Amino acid sequence: MAFTKEVYKEFEDVVGVENICDDPSIMPAYYGTEFAAVILPKDTAEVQALVKLCNKHKVMFRPICTGWSGMFPKGIVLFDLRRMNRIVEINEKNMYAVVEPYVISAELQAELMKRGLNFCIKGAGTNCSAMLRGHGHMDQTTSGDDRNHLAIEWVTPEGEIVRSGSLGSADEWFCGDGPGPSLRAILTSAVPPGVTPGVFTKAAVKLYHWPGPSEFPIVGHSPKYTLGEIPANTMARYYSFPSVDKMWQAELKLGEGEICYELMGFNAAMVSCNITTCNEEEEEVFAKMSKEVQGPGFFVIIAGSSPEDFAYKKHVLEYIVKQNGGKSLKTVENPEVEGILMCQCIRISASIRETFRAGGAFNSIPIMGQRDLTIKWAIGAGKAKEPLIKNGYIVDDGGAFFGWGVEQGHLGKTEIFCKYDPQNAEAKKAVEQWQQEQTRRAFTEKYFASTLGSQEDIGPALSNYHLWWQKLVKTLDPNGVSPEGGALV
Amino acid sequence: MALEQYAGDMGMCCRCSACKFVPMQKVKGSDYSYVCPSIAKYNFHAYSGGGRMNIGTAAVKNGMNYTDRLLDVVYNCQMCGACDVSCKYAMDMEVLEPISEFRMKCNEDGKTNAALDKVIAGLRKTGSMVPAKGKRGAWAAGLGIKDATKEKVDVLFHVGCLTSFDPEMQKLAKATARILEKAGVSFGIAGDAETCCGGRAYQMGYKDDFLAQAKKNMALIKKCGAKTLVTGCADGYQAFKVLYDKYDLKGKLEVLHISEYIDKLIKDGKLKPRKKVNLSVTYHDPCRLGRLGEPWIHWEGTKVPGDRFVFDPPKEYRRGAKGIYEPPRDVIKSIPGVKLTEMTRIKEYAWCCGAGGGVNESNPEFATWTAQKRIDEAVSTGAEAIVTACPWCEKTLNEAIKASGSSLKVYDIVELVEKAI
Ligand SMILES: Cc1cc2nc3c(=O)[nH]c(=O)nc-3n(C[C@H](O)[C@H](O)[C@H](O)COP(=O)(O)OP(=O)(O)OC[C@H]3O[C@@H](n4cnc5c(N)ncnc54)[C@H](O)[C@@H]3O)c2cc1C
Ligand code: SF4
Ligand code: SF4
Repeated sequence: MAFTKEVYKEFEDVVGVENICDDPSIMPAYYGTEFAAVILPKDTAEVQALVKLCNKHKVMFRPICTGWSGMFPKGIVLFDLRRMNRIVEINEKNMYAVVEPYVISAELQAELMKRGLNFCIKGAGTNCSAMLRGHGHMDQTTSGDDRNHLAIEWVTPEGEIVRSGSLGSADEWFCGDGPGPSLRAILTSAVPPGVTPGVFTKAAVKLYHWPGPSEFPIVGHSPKYTLGEIPANTMARYYSFPSVDKMWQAELKLGEGEICYELMGFNAAMVSCNITTCNEEEEEVFAKMSKEVQGPGFFVIIAGSSPEDFAYKKHVLEYIVKQNGGKSLKTVENPEVEGILMCQCIRISASIRETFRAGGAFNSIPIMGQRDLTIKWAIGAGKAKEPLIKNGYIVDDGGAFFGWGVEQGHLGKTEIFCKYDPQNAEAKKAVEQWQQEQTRRAFTEKYFASTLGSQEDIGPALSNYHLWWQKLVKTLDPNGVSPEGGALV
Repeated sequence: MALEQYAGDMGMCCRCSACKFVPMQKVKGSDYSYVCPSIAKYNFHAYSGGGRMNIGTAAVKNGMNYTDRLLDVVYNCQMCGACDVSCKYAMDMEVLEPISEFRMKCNEDGKTNAALDKVIAGLRKTGSMVPAKGKRGAWAAGLGIKDATKEKVDVLFHVGCLTSFDPEMQKLAKATARILEKAGVSFGIAGDAETCCGGRAYQMGYKDDFLAQAKKNMALIKKCGAKTLVTGCADGYQAFKVLYDKYDLKGKLEVLHISEYIDKLIKDGKLKPRKKVNLSVTYHDPCRLGRLGEPWIHWEGTKVPGDRFVFDPPKEYRRGAKGIYEPPRDVIKSIPGVKLTEMTRIKEYAWCCGAGGGVNESNPEFATWTAQKRIDEAVSTGAEAIVTACPWCEKTLNEAIKASGSSLKVYDIVELVEKAI
């Protein structure tokens, strides 16, 4: 639904002629949907003015940072926040950084590493916004999700500017909960439909100590960057275990020991993806690695603040691994491979290799929850992948799942992929069916209630949260300008 | 290959935006993290490599939806290939090839750009991409350079349009001649018989004109009998070395860029840069010498049915790793007194000077804007001069310097070597 000339002009007056477009020929660039217009605001004031116009004309809108994911119904206005790309502040003393939506994690991380700092980066990759919450490789160190959100500047669906946490009472970003309004449940809520209505225009994220180098000594050319040398007091290893249970016990002890900078439950297929530069090579390496591993495993990076700290961490790591029958993968002990993985997994730069490269698409069931329980479910979901692998619908990854412990490791993220060719209709159907069945099984067998499941089913089991959420949204968005659907993950 | 043949590649685009940035591991902060001039300037996703993939997919499915805006997207791209490199860090898919095919399709459908049409009209008439004032070989008058169309030479120096005709750039041709003479190379030029390599016509989307030029050039080279061709221009290098090969026109001709050749002459002990040149410099990799100078890989095959995007026979992708990166750097480092400091965006992820893809002609303001970003980056290294290896880069960078009043100097690598011998 295109705007009338007059309405278009009102929006154009806010951002200038160069920053609005409704040309149908370029819409497919964004998504397979037609927007009333795509608009590129440059700051909070412009966002506020645009939101107010949306209310005035009862036009739905949705914002994007990098725009990698989300649901975008036809006819809505898209706010592409690309021009809001400033790192507003890095506060080393109080350990937070304030960013606008289009600061990507790679930019913020590089600035932080120079200062001996780091932050929680989504496993999706450093190509994503540094601002929105998520989970990733460094969750044992940085935790994940809303734990890292401090104060937030938010343009509500009606166009009011709300400053949460300490920003609500002073010009300070250090705290998300006060003094001032917390609004944590609304602003960083993980419940479906999950997408917070309105627009985050700035947010403060928590910072953490980074004991590694200020810049990785990268050598080589794309697509094979590795480290000229493994930085002092750091080490990357992959360990495989005789059973899932042993792996989980080791993971838990490592979490409790608080010695891993990163613990990522990559399966062998994911390691193969990361260290290879094309699909053919990956197939070969995976075949080799499948023989090398004794069972499920995880990838670990340790980083010491001093030689003594490193020696201690290494000793504890090796002790726990040994206690649980773990075996270090020789392939990863090769310094070239170790280097590839170390910089890739700190600078989160190869998730595409794990997800899209092989087939062009993937479906996944991600779940955040009690790690031992979700692992038990994932074993079944992995088994259920086997017929799909046999039929050639999905890429053979040995029916594996993956995941990682958050904080001390009891809480964790567990996820399972099916990678397939989206042009193959049969494969697509089979994968979607697998996804539905395994999501339903998780709920009916009481492992967890996935946000991918039906709200009508899972809502009543979870205090009718969906009804409360709908009421909240109605109050925040009386003109209904925030479309439903999509998850802010 | 036509656009349709890249449907599988374009369909692989997962919209991750990596193609807007230098490879993530090379991002060094909030400055100089962007690699695609087009998206950096115009901001709408359509102007990025990924946006272009998605528009291409829609075009294959639903036909071309020509509007002025679409053509603005198409022609405001330097065809610099930076998106291709960043994407292929993680993905097995072509990006620049479908972008190029899309532009050629526009051209076939008569959806051309008026400024580019004018340039091509000039090419058809005069064999030059720049206004041909005077004779092509006039710069060589009195220098005693052999005429390769009349005398047998080992090396044919293809001077290029801009260097031949632009009075400001003829110094590069003269410097090259002096260097080759000093090294005792048996070389010659085709003088007035030289004609455009066709590389820039190709970038602009005029494939037939490119092919016509390529055929003319290969006939001329055959007549001369030279086995080695040296170009002073990165566009020429890519045309002779990569594009002629792509279309099976190169034969066994050895193609070297002057920086590669000088490097070889120095390493073979035939050329000795002895004079001290006290200068701190930084080096700008021309796109078509660097990532796009990577040799062509001939491949024809089909996707193996099944789960993975693999082919029979396996497809080896050109990912930018095999461009000419070290020879120019080695040459610079061999000059006494010169101190080389690298910029943030270098080699396979270098920022374009702005001149590529005909942008210099179709949207000079955008070309200058792009060059200005490069000048800022060069200045940030503390260097007194930016050294490049292509007259188009030198010209565009100089224009940005003129516009901004920067005191940075621009040199072609041959000018620096000339000072040292
Ligand atoms: C291959 C892959 C792997 C992934 N792995 C992980 C993982 O390991 N961990 C993880 O946490 N996530 C993961 N994700 C999810 C990922 O975090 C999201 O795709 C994320 O959206 C990435 O882009 P972005 O941060 O730029 O947000 P966008 O894609 O721009 O936006 C995401 C959603 O937030 C909304 N939104 C965007 N900006 C704003 C704003 N300023 N205010 C309000 N709402 C806004 C959008 O409308 C959209 O619904 C993965 C995704 C992919 C594709
Ligand atoms: S072209 Fe490549 S890098 Fe760009 S968005 Fe698509 S998949 Fe990502
Ligand atoms: S070829 Fe260069 S200018 Fe064009 S889209 Fe790719 S990176 Fe951008």
